Amino acid sequence: MRNILKILFVLSALIIAFPAYAIDGTQLLAQVDRNLTPESYVMYRKLINIEPDGRKKEFTLFTVKKGKDKVAALFTAPASEKGRSTLRLGENMWLYIPNVGKPVRITSLQSVIGGIFNNSDILSLDYSAEYDVQKVDETGAEYLLYLKAKNKTVAYDQLKMWVDKSKKLPTKIECLTEAGMLIKTMYFKDIKDFGGGLVRPADIETDSPLYKGYKSVMLFAGLKKKEYKDEVFTLTFMDKMESLR
Amino acid sequence: MKRTLFLLGLCVVVLYSSAFAGEYKFEPSEIEKKPYHLGGYGEFRPVLNVLDKSAALYKVNFYNQNLGDTTKEYNFRLQLEGSYEQGIARLFMRVNQDVDNTYQGWGSDGTLYEGFLSLKPSESYHIDVGKKVFKWGKGYAWNPVAFVDRPKDPNEPDLALEGFWTLSGDYIKSFAGPLKTLSFTPVLLPAITDINEDFAGGLSNPAGTPSPSTGDKINLAAKLYFLLYDTDIDLVYFTGGSRTTRFGIDFSRNITSNLEVHGELAYIEGITKRFINTSGTLFTETFDVTSYLLGIRYLTAKDTTYILEYYHDGTGFTKDQMGDFFSFVNRGYDQFLATGNDTLLSKAANLAQGNYSRNTPMTDYFYLRISQKEPFDILYFTPAITGIINLQDQSCSITPEAVYTGITNLELRLKAFLLIGKGNSEFGEKPNDYRIEFRARYFF
Repeated sequence: MRNILKILFVLSALIIAFPAYAIDGTQLLAQVDRNLTPESYVMYRKLINIEPDGRKKEFTLFTVKKGKDKVAALFTAPASEKGRSTLRLGENMWLYIPNVGKPVRITSLQSVIGGIFNNSDILSLDYSAEYDVQKVDETGAEYLLYLKAKNKTVAYDQLKMWVDKSKKLPTKIECLTEAGMLIKTMYFKDIKDFGGGLVRPADIETDSPLYKGYKSVMLFAGLKKKEYKDEVFTLTFMDKMESLR
Repeated sequence: MKRTLFLLGLCVVVLYSSAFAGEYKFEPSEIEKKPYHLGGYGEFRPVLNVLDKSAALYKVNFYNQNLGDTTKEYNFRLQLEGSYEQGIARLFMRVNQDVDNTYQGWGSDGTLYEGFLSLKPSESYHIDVGKKVFKWGKGYAWNPVAFVDRPKDPNEPDLALEGFWTLSGDYIKSFAGPLKTLSFTPVLLPAITDINEDFAGGLSNPAGTPSPSTGDKINLAAKLYFLLYDTDIDLVYFTGGSRTTRFGIDFSRNITSNLEVHGELAYIEGITKRFINTSGTLFTETFDVTSYLLGIRYLTAKDTTYILEYYHDGTGFTKDQMGDFFSFVNRGYDQFLATGNDTLLSKAANLAQGNYSRNTPMTDYFYLRISQKEPFDILYFTPAITGIINLQDQSCSITPEAVYTGITNLELRLKAFLLIGKGNSEFGEKPNDYRIEFRARYFF
């Protein structure tokens, strides 16, 4: 009888306690996605690779995204990269180089520009499109989401995402391999009002234990909701992306 | 004193903060689009050739010259690109100017690579009219289905090429489901007086096929592209008066996230091949040919990229045909040494031009390129090694190179070509044994 009472007590405690910890990780991640960008948008990004001696290399990108799986980016600077475009359609990725004159298939981990950024960072989709939430912890003013890639084509197998509880925006993301090795850490900074109700970090700084002393910064500008026709996200359109700006 | 120290400290903080803030600024002017664009690159490329005086192609080209064991070249290139956009119209031009100093002295060559007007009434339809490059095909080193392009150099497959004057269009349609994209590209290519005159034969036609008939010709080509089950597929077709009718198909697909496979197949009707025997008798042979290419691109976890391709060129020379040509050259050279008569060597030189001496003129090749991104954590540094192996005569070229792009808009490349092969083999009979070149290219 005492054992039954003990079990009933534990069960009741669990039932009472459960709602307090029952954070729907999937819903939270979807909300983080929408707080970062509209589902379909245009934006400009500046990527800065900073070397240990302070030397910098900068790239400017124009990006368009539509729905869950279509994103394309066009390099507008520096002159050596101008006109390069990359396209992602689900798990398919292509790179177009004006001199080469035709798109070639690339992989998500390949780097288009060198340094810490790879194609997946440049052509990122919604986190909820690529990752499942495995666990959510609460750490003071933040949630800690443990994310696992939905398939092998995703560049980073695991993510640890710290999310500001009140703003529902990420503050830090660690990108890890399947074995749990840290590849890079992204720090979300400088919350800014982009208009249209979009208030989000305008600066993501990245460091990596694989590139000791190096740092990368991604700055955001001109982010707004916009939807193009599906035909924009095709191989045939890649050399005409400049016309969308 | 305290006040002075405070002010000095304040100045340091302000200066440091402003410098730091300056690092991460994204000014509105940086994303402003102008209706016009002017850019391009300037290039300096010194070259050292180590000659092979016993090689057949050395004898053909330099039999009456004394060049020494090495020759030097100083090559300068200016490639300008410009565009102007207004509404649905965009005008684009790419002009190439080469100036070089070789054993022949100074020379220069200016070419309009591309120059066309593009009309884009919607995202689904475009029309282009002017001089344009198409670059059809999925192969990296060769493209047997590139029916309306000039052949690319497998040693420099990424270089911009000169186009042809065409009227072309694109129709694009996207779908949900396994067929995600369909696009259709028709091309009209006239070959008339002063326009596309070199399309019928010569360097633009790798088979060396002369025009079936002379006079003004209209040529038609088309490409139908599908993205079907995550596979790129192109069906291509060409017909017209300048070249014989030909059909092609190519594909490209990611098997895994780091392994891509691609291939091309071309069927060409009634190609005419010209070749000679050892005594110099010229033969022509007309037949239908099939050319194909199969390749992979593989990226390892350590950022090493392998590109591997097998190419069968149905229009190429057999080992015996190539051997006959080399024997003919040697016979002509012996005659020249004995009598001073260069009739046979002149005939050989005519045949070599754009034919026997073109890049990879035989039938079966293997291509391997291994490049390593940023080894030893050296950012923007990419060493690579490329091998082209002639599977018929086992001769090959090995090309190590190193590229550094760490300085904004400057690309530095050091590259060497080692040509290896016995007598009567393709790479063994090239005029060089080695070639070393440095290339500095500045983009603006």
